[in-house]
Amino acid sequence: MRDQVRIQEEDFSQDEEIAALKNSSRRIGGIATFLGCARDFSEGREVSRISFEAYGSMALSEMKNLRLDAIERFGLIDARIVHRIASVSAGDNIVFIAAGAEHRKAAFDACRYMIDELKMRVPIWKKEITPEGDAWVSFHP
Amino acid sequence: MIDVLFFGPVVERTGMRALKVEHRPGMTLMELRDELAAKFPSAFEIVCLFAVDGQHVRDLTMPLADRSEVTFMARFSGG
Repeated sequence: MRDQVRIQEEDFSQDEEIAALKNSSRRIGGIATFLGCARDFSEGREVSRISFEAYGSMALSEMKNLRLDAIERFGLIDARIVHRIASVSAGDNIVFIAAGAEHRKAAFDACRYMIDELKMRVPIWKKEITPEGDAWVSFHP
Repeated sequence: MIDVLFFGPVVERTGMRALKVEHRPGMTLMELRDELAAKFPSAFEIVCLFAVDGQHVRDLTMPLADRSEVTFMARFSGG
């Protein structure tokens, strides 16, 4: 089985991640997911591609800590986080988060918590490639 | 010796991904930050996050051990 927390260049399958989460326990009664994908427009400009850079070792460590924090804080049964570090086009997948809990509230709350915290804690940066030039993206809440 | 790392938007302003700085006994993260900010002023305009050996550090008075890995980072934009 693939690790619950990964940084990878290649695309991921939401179905495979959800299936892996479901298979982790028969006590799971609700799974909430977040899928982040690339847009073709940002800050009033067309975006041709988005490239990502990470402080890999720290990013993976922070993502693993984040998963454990969410499990403890919301009483999750399990959770998965996958982030791509690659050059992607509009519509491509970027990040996938899934939270599995006995009931929906914990799953929704934990999923929101993990993506919000990921943006604050995990050292990953995105650069938008536009017809007018390239620009590193500042924080998006 | 201290290994200093830069990533993403900071690299664009330093022109380098890494450099080594001689370690001095009692040297703090703030002293290293100030030393490098004088060398790369535009890069340090956007540096607001710090890590030592892959862990977030908020207390800039933290003393640095020899052979530390110190990273000066701009705000994250993953996800």
